[in-house]
Amino acid sequence: MNARFVAALFGAACFASLPALAAWEPTKPVEFVVPAGAGGASDQMARTIQGIVQKYNLMKQPFIIALKGGASGAEGLMAMKQAAGDPHKIIVAQSSLYTIPFATNLPFSWKDLTPVTLMAMDEFVLWDNAELPYRTTAEFLAAAKKVSATEPMKMGGTGSKREDHILTAFIESKAGVKFAYIPYKSGGEAATQLVGKHTDANVNNPSENIAQWRANQVRALCVFDKERLPYKAKVTETQSWADIPTCKETGLDIDYLMLRGIFIPGGGTAEQVEFYDQLMRKVAATAEWKDYMEKNALKEAPFGPAALKAFLEKDEPLHKQLMTEAKFLAAP
Amino acid sequence: MSRGEDAVVSRRTVELFVSGLLSIVGIGLAISNWKLGASWAADGPQPGYFPFLLSTMLALASLYGVFDALRGRHGARGDAAFVKRDEFVRVLQVLVPTILFCLATEFLGIYVAGFLLIAGFMRYIGESRWISCVAVALVLMASLFWCFEIEFQVPMPKGPIEDRLGY
Amino acid sequence: MDGTAIDSLLHGFVVLLTFKNMLLMMVGIILGIFVGVLPGLGGPNGVALLLPLTFTMDPTGAIVLLSCIYWGALFGGAITSILFNIPGEAWSVATTFDGYPMAQQGRAGEALTAAFTASFFGALAAVLLITFLAPLVARFALRFGPPEFFAVYFLTFCSFVGMGKEARHKILISMLIGFLLAAVGMDTVGGSLRMTFGFSDLLRGFDFLVAVIGLFGLSEILLTMEEKLAFEGKQAKLDLKVVWRTWKSLPRYWATLIRSAIAGCWLGITPGGAIAASFMGYGLAKRFSRDPDSFGTGRIEGVLAPETAAHAAGTSALLPMLALGIPGSGTAAVLLGGLMIWGLQPGPLLFVEHADFVWGLIASMYLGNIAGLILVLATVPLFAAILRVPFPTIASSVIVLCAIGAYAVHGAVFDIWLMVLFGVVGYVFKKLNYPLAPLALALVLGDRAEDAFRQTMIASRGNLTVFWSNSLVGSITSLALLLLLWPVLSDIMKRLRKSGDGVPTGAASG
Repeated sequence: MNARFVAALFGAACFASLPALAAWEPTKPVEFVVPAGAGGASDQMARTIQGIVQKYNLMKQPFIIALKGGASGAEGLMAMKQAAGDPHKIIVAQSSLYTIPFATNLPFSWKDLTPVTLMAMDEFVLWDNAELPYRTTAEFLAAAKKVSATEPMKMGGTGSKREDHILTAFIESKAGVKFAYIPYKSGGEAATQLVGKHTDANVNNPSENIAQWRANQVRALCVFDKERLPYKAKVTETQSWADIPTCKETGLDIDYLMLRGIFIPGGGTAEQVEFYDQLMRKVAATAEWKDYMEKNALKEAPFGPAALKAFLEKDEPLHKQLMTEAKFLAAP
Repeated sequence: MSRGEDAVVSRRTVELFVSGLLSIVGIGLAISNWKLGASWAADGPQPGYFPFLLSTMLALASLYGVFDALRGRHGARGDAAFVKRDEFVRVLQVLVPTILFCLATEFLGIYVAGFLLIAGFMRYIGESRWISCVAVALVLMASLFWCFEIEFQVPMPKGPIEDRLGY
Repeated sequence: MDGTAIDSLLHGFVVLLTFKNMLLMMVGIILGIFVGVLPGLGGPNGVALLLPLTFTMDPTGAIVLLSCIYWGALFGGAITSILFNIPGEAWSVATTFDGYPMAQQGRAGEALTAAFTASFFGALAAVLLITFLAPLVARFALRFGPPEFFAVYFLTFCSFVGMGKEARHKILISMLIGFLLAAVGMDTVGGSLRMTFGFSDLLRGFDFLVAVIGLFGLSEILLTMEEKLAFEGKQAKLDLKVVWRTWKSLPRYWATLIRSAIAGCWLGITPGGAIAASFMGYGLAKRFSRDPDSFGTGRIEGVLAPETAAHAAGTSALLPMLALGIPGSGTAAVLLGGLMIWGLQPGPLLFVEHADFVWGLIASMYLGNIAGLILVLATVPLFAAILRVPFPTIASSVIVLCAIGAYAVHGAVFDIWLMVLFGVVGYVFKKLNYPLAPLALALVLGDRAEDAFRQTMIASRGNLTVFWSNSLVGSITSLALLLLLWPVLSDIMKRLRKSGDGVPTGAASG
């Protein structure tokens, strides 16, 4: 009897969800806001999704990509905030959701948007120039410590008071070293500057340094995660992503990940969230997406709005704490 | 000398106005950047350093402009008209419709507003026949619509009419 | 090494010479010209918009289509600059300085021919460089760190500014306004917002294109209306013979062409970008001219120089993208994203792992530019004929196009108002003899130069001698200072010579 009751409930739920699914779908082209510059990681993710949706005909209306990378992406965030109630706009956001408001007093909070789902987590890796003599994290940090007071090593990264800078400050406090952090406009620029020996190291995402890594110009020292990356196919002649040790293994106890998540403007209904969540799940099930994830060494993340909200509620205070310690918060 | 040749405003007055405005802007920006931090810290200049320097220089150069205009060394050239009455009327004939066009864009979308601007301009300034004004404006805006909305998928500001058509 | 390059190139032509690829090439160029002509819809936009179409194509076909859009946009940007004083692309601002006066004098056909031919010459120079010196150049580009970037921006600036007939304080004010506008918005190095005063529309800063569309395009309509001039040029002969006549005069300007091509290639690789290159090309041509004061009144060199440099820079900007994985321009950045989506990894190994693709692309640069040149030259009479349309029709359509252009940059209605404001400012400034070019240049280079300077200062801990710390940065900085002080130096030399002849020097003062 009990089982029948459960089955009935399940059936009712299915029935209930069917009309719910049909209840809402876009009635005009959907603007896909990218709060970053052309060609960057967010742009690539959006275009990959756009391509997959188009190829498998997953949505009747087309996606139109709108690059709003002004002010490190604040332009895109504010555009989404102002579009409250418009379900024909979605954004692929990352931790600038809270780092920019913390650093600049921008009147924005992720709570101004309606969370849809996580797409992936992006890793950070500590890289140094392959021609430097430091083969391990420990050797590198020891050498950095030695020159901290006189002429600190140069650490490159994207932007100021954002994820790369925060992570650098995190390393500084954990390992008791000091770097000269040099902010660049993009991860690509940070990568080339490392190869050209204008910096000594960077904390780029895997996708930002992969070309230089494969050409043996940079060395991957460790990945800032609790476990190693799962991808075992050789990327360079000798190494796969899974061969990079975690920073904890090498004695630097830091794990730091960046979300890549989808949001719609504030006031989105449950049906609208459901539509985009299902759409993204369909995208993620394709071979193209799996290929994209592996190529960029992205980490899988749980789908659905609940998981995204839970992550944000944990990640935002963490950033507040890290940025307070690093004195990155804007004066009130 | 007909009334159309009268000066609306003298060159000197406009020089004074522009320089004065710029020096006020310069001082205002200098204060804003000073608050942001405008000194040379250990790791190079602070965010407000260059803007502070630039706005201070702007204020000084504009104050020189004020002084230069007041000195009146330019003589007859300084007293000459910045714009004569009939010239001014012609400038307004473009500027006012342009501003109305922008206002209309906010409410009607750029396509309808553009249609009204082109048709109206051709009718009242160009004195073309109504039929040709409407035809030219319609063809131009329709082809722009086709180009941006349909072919390139660059969304432009749209109003109630496009909304009815499902865009 | 040369032999292998030629072999690879020939192989590239074989890859390319299929009916389908040639068709894609034509389609791409026509679309590109279109994209270039419409203001605000720049090369990067055009390429980005068609990117999704290419996901199902093979990489070679895809890159041929997209790069040809880029060539087309490079050609097309000059058209509205010359005809209406509206830069269709940011890199064609400098082309308006002499191109538009030429059109007003009824020499639109000549100016267009010169612009297209110069573009082709610039591109050819850059493609030759890519064909034969790719690995070498790629290694050279790696030597550019923050101090070198700053030195290059400084050099661009010095090669352009310094001379002018206008009152000194007005040149200075114009430049300062440009720098200040460039500083509005997010500060990359400090991570804070500057001069936004809490307005979210100011967050993204002042876009170069929005400003120049207003300053140059709209203000010109106001002025034309005031002077009661219709666009002249109706009586000009509009046939294809103008192409031939212009071509006959071009060899005379070989020095300008070569100088601009070198400056353009240099800035494309480093990457200063096509916009900076066009200004530098113009500035150098003016500086080395025997009659610098006649620039801005419709000199053909004033069209040749910026177009050659911009196209050389736009083309060579693809080299660092392919060989290093860093984009030298906005369009290159979009193409870079495309490469990754097609499954290619730009970077040092691309030339080895995907030789077919790379050499196919390089071969398409040759063919695409030749096809582009023929196509645009054939349309010269057509474009020049637009000038026969009555002024009210043209003026109102141009205002609509300006608004569309301003809006398309960021998708913000606020920018349309801003464009109108810049139009009024441009009108007042032109009437009061404030020069507009320094403002435009400072706006485009200002924030990048500041970023590079402050990155340098962080790395050197505030030590200014870093700008002479190695032979590369030292020679660029010194060259820049020399160019900056050149007017003063030549003045001193003239005076010395004069006083040597016993002529009193005091006459100039007062």
